[in-house]
Amino acid sequence: MQDFDLKPANDLGMTHRQRTMSLARESGLIETGTHFAYWAMMRTYLRVYHRMSIRGRENIPAQPPYVMVANHSSHLDALMMVSVQRWRLRDKVFPLAAGDFFFETPAMAAFATLCINALPLWRNNCGRHVLGELRKRLISEPCAFVLFPEGTRSTDGKIGSFKAGLGMLVAKSSVPVVPCLISGTREALPRDKRCPRPRRVSLTIGQPLTFTDVSNDRSGWEQVANKTQRAVEALTDGSGGAA
Amino acid sequence: MQQVVLDRWFGFQSAFDHPVVLWASVGIVAALVISSATVAVLSAMGRLDDSTKTELRRRIASWCVLAPLMIGPILLGAAWTILAVVVLGLCCYREYARMTGLFREKLLSLLVVVGILAVGFAVADHWYGFFMALGPLTMLVIAALAILSDRPKGYVQRVALGVFGFFLFGMGLGHLGYFANDGDYRPILVLILISVELNDIFAYLSGKLFGRRKLCPQTSPNKTIGGAAGALVLTTTLVAIVGHRVFADGVMDSPAHLIGLGLIVSVAGQFGDLMLSSIKRDVGIKDTGSVLPGHGGLLDRFDSLLLVAPAVFHYIRYFQGIGLDQPVRILTGGAG
Repeated sequence: MQDFDLKPANDLGMTHRQRTMSLARESGLIETGTHFAYWAMMRTYLRVYHRMSIRGRENIPAQPPYVMVANHSSHLDALMMVSVQRWRLRDKVFPLAAGDFFFETPAMAAFATLCINALPLWRNNCGRHVLGELRKRLISEPCAFVLFPEGTRSTDGKIGSFKAGLGMLVAKSSVPVVPCLISGTREALPRDKRCPRPRRVSLTIGQPLTFTDVSNDRSGWEQVANKTQRAVEALTDGSGGAA
Repeated sequence: MQQVVLDRWFGFQSAFDHPVVLWASVGIVAALVISSATVAVLSAMGRLDDSTKTELRRRIASWCVLAPLMIGPILLGAAWTILAVVVLGLCCYREYARMTGLFREKLLSLLVVVGILAVGFAVADHWYGFFMALGPLTMLVIAALAILSDRPKGYVQRVALGVFGFFLFGMGLGHLGYFANDGDYRPILVLILISVELNDIFAYLSGKLFGRRKLCPQTSPNKTIGGAAGALVLTTTLVAIVGHRVFADGVMDSPAHLIGLGLIVSVAGQFGDLMLSSIKRDVGIKDTGSVLPGHGGLLDRFDSLLLVAPAVFHYIRYFQGIGLDQPVRILTGGAG
């Protein structure tokens, strides 16, 4: 007879703090409940208060793994990117969030883990090792990531250059990258404001790109970043899809 | 609600009415004080190396938290006892689910949790029929709803893990809670808890003294036949002596019945211990969690209780019944 395939939690035996900071963190029943509740609330909020419009929703792959990337100018961006996911997958989508902001204080870290299900990326330490761990999780679990390859929120509304780290996650794998364009969030919730204003926001989801033939090294990573950036920029003309 | 129920649920004034409860509580406090004092004196004399010292301190500190959490609800009243058993069941299930990977099956995990809560309700209601029905009912709901994810690969494993988890932490621990429906639940529960915990310690000590041959080395390399036999003798003696006071003048108060009770506690307790060792070996981990410093997870501490509770419950119930003089279906009304 075949043995059962028992896989203990990847964060088994960690203390609460280690688990919060860990890239291997797995949600329990309570966290799954809070995630679903939070995303249902955020979707309603974005629909009602910001009149969120979505184009190209059919471009989101039906099954993980995949990586959603977009331009970044506001805290509303991540909320939009997750709340358009299929509701079944919402607990399998992890926004990659800046550790020095979202995981700095215990209260913020609790919000990041219980509500947005974020995994921490530290801006001064997101090299090969960390991204390699994320890449392994992306493919083996499988799950989906939401990330903003500019690395920070844009100040002037222009799309900054995409960082090569994105390439480390997907180069030479069949994981699709879904380029998205977000507009309106800079007016709705600018960097220096705390309270969102009732402005319209919209999200355009482009056709997925895959990088199966791109080599998994420095030049390949940059190729991935450049190609994805061009795909996001191409969405500005309103065509709704570009490859 | 009837006065007799309120007294049983919340009547902390009668906590120490029974001498066994009083002396057990005094004994637990004394044991904690004496062991902390001994460690303090020995470390002041420099007789302990650093690692032993921290290990002993952590263990005693854990017991200082655990013992009040175990005995406290029993002293406060039956309602708190049942609540504590349900919370314990949920916490143990969490460790089990994270250990076996069942927690990734959110729907099944939710069903087990609902099952454990339903057991708590049936116990609090003193509704034996529903309590017993929850075993097969939860099993059939788990088996049926596990189909919905439409992934036949691994179906048997998912259902088996869910049903096993529910029976261990819902039904198994539920039996412990059901004792609280007896008019004289405090001495019985204190007897069970203390004899099960001491059974572990007896096995450890007798194993150190005259344990040579291994009991089942693949499952748990440190257990010996000598340790198991020593625990059997010592626990049975303890249960017989204390049980004589607990069941004074009842049907259970005969040497044969009390020795039988002691044997059941010791055998089921040791099997419970080995059961958790088997689960951990199968999964390939050492500790079930990190809740209790020096003990590992909650499950590492309460493993022995899981099998003892139903075995002892039905043994006592067969001979003298449990909660016969208490009102039934307190919350739902209706006939028992």
